[in-house]
Amino acid sequence: MMIPVRCFTCGKVISEYYEEFDARAREGDEDPAAVLDDLGVTRHCCRRMMVSHTDLVDVVSPYQ
Amino acid sequence: MSYKCSRCKRDVELDEYGGVRCPYCGHRVLLKERARDIKEVDVK
Amino acid sequence: MSAEFDVEFIERDDRSARFLVRGLTPAFANGIRRAMIADVPTLSIDTVRFIENSSVMFDEMIALRLGLIPLTTPLADYEIGETVTVALDVEGPATAYSGDLTTSDGLVEPADKNIPIIKLNQGQRLEFEADAVLDRGKEHAKHQGGVSVGYRHLQRVEVIGDRGEFDEEEPHILRGVIETEDGELVATDEFDNDLTNRYPGKEVSVTDVPGAFVFHVETDGSLSVEELVDRAAESIGDRAAELKDAVSV
Repeated sequence: MMIPVRCFTCGKVISEYYEEFDARAREGDEDPAAVLDDLGVTRHCCRRMMVSHTDLVDVVSPYQ
Repeated sequence: MSYKCSRCKRDVELDEYGGVRCPYCGHRVLLKERARDIKEVDVK
Repeated sequence: MSAEFDVEFIERDDRSARFLVRGLTPAFANGIRRAMIADVPTLSIDTVRFIENSSVMFDEMIALRLGLIPLTTPLADYEIGETVTVALDVEGPATAYSGDLTTSDGLVEPADKNIPIIKLNQGQRLEFEADAVLDRGKEHAKHQGGVSVGYRHLQRVEVIGDRGEFDEEEPHILRGVIETEDGELVATDEFDNDLTNRYPGKEVSVTDVPGAFVFHVETDGSLSVEELVDRAAESIGDRAAELKDAVSV
């Protein structure tokens, strides 16, 4: 579904960086580690939130 | 309680004796509509 | 306990800071840490009245996400339990962001404007009214103002000689902040957390400095670092005063 608002472990708000991360590191061809450093997502608990997330809203949104 | 037929998308009123069936197209899959009133949710 | 604390900032930002406090006992340092996490109240959405939600997420899922959005908290204007009304109305195709929230008090607004709440397709709509309430982290983690609040001992690094000629060069990893022999404070990431980068070919000793703690404080944006630390110290003082009153009666 949507990216969780906060990191499960430390509670930092990470969702606001996801769209940029997705655009630059997944759609784009930048190095994910460099993008996360650039966004200020430095702890590995927060980084795994971004790296391991798959957005499924678009998959389920046609159904209701 | 109002329902919607999943095939013809028309509103259906269920009565006690009619059974679960759309009176317009005979389809047996009905979807329950969300109630119109305001729903209060506790964030816990 | 010493009467005066000596505080020195090492890093200072809007939302994060690292500072050294001398003259603390470990118990008091931990008291401050805990007060920052559990005792400093922040505003957070607590009840949501959904007028329309035709999105793909359930009301409860959206309510949970809303609760986690940090709201700027003017602590001087609110008492614990007081509420602010928040509202949102977004129609698809669009994404509802935290920045779309409107509040009844101009001083209260989402600390981050770009938090996606839910992506809406053509014809889907999200409309609700919610109450944000001021409460403590004790009550619910969503009211926690501090994020990853912690402290470490200040470590003093002294060169005690040269490394033995045939000794293996092993990394000497340290975290936090060190004090050099000249009394200079150096964050360990300046030398990639490895002492052998700073003192190549030297044998060093590392000792904890008694009563000196380096705090690392980050906030979620609802309060500034200064306010968070201030309020935490204040809450300890208030509780001590309360205990004193209760005992002396």
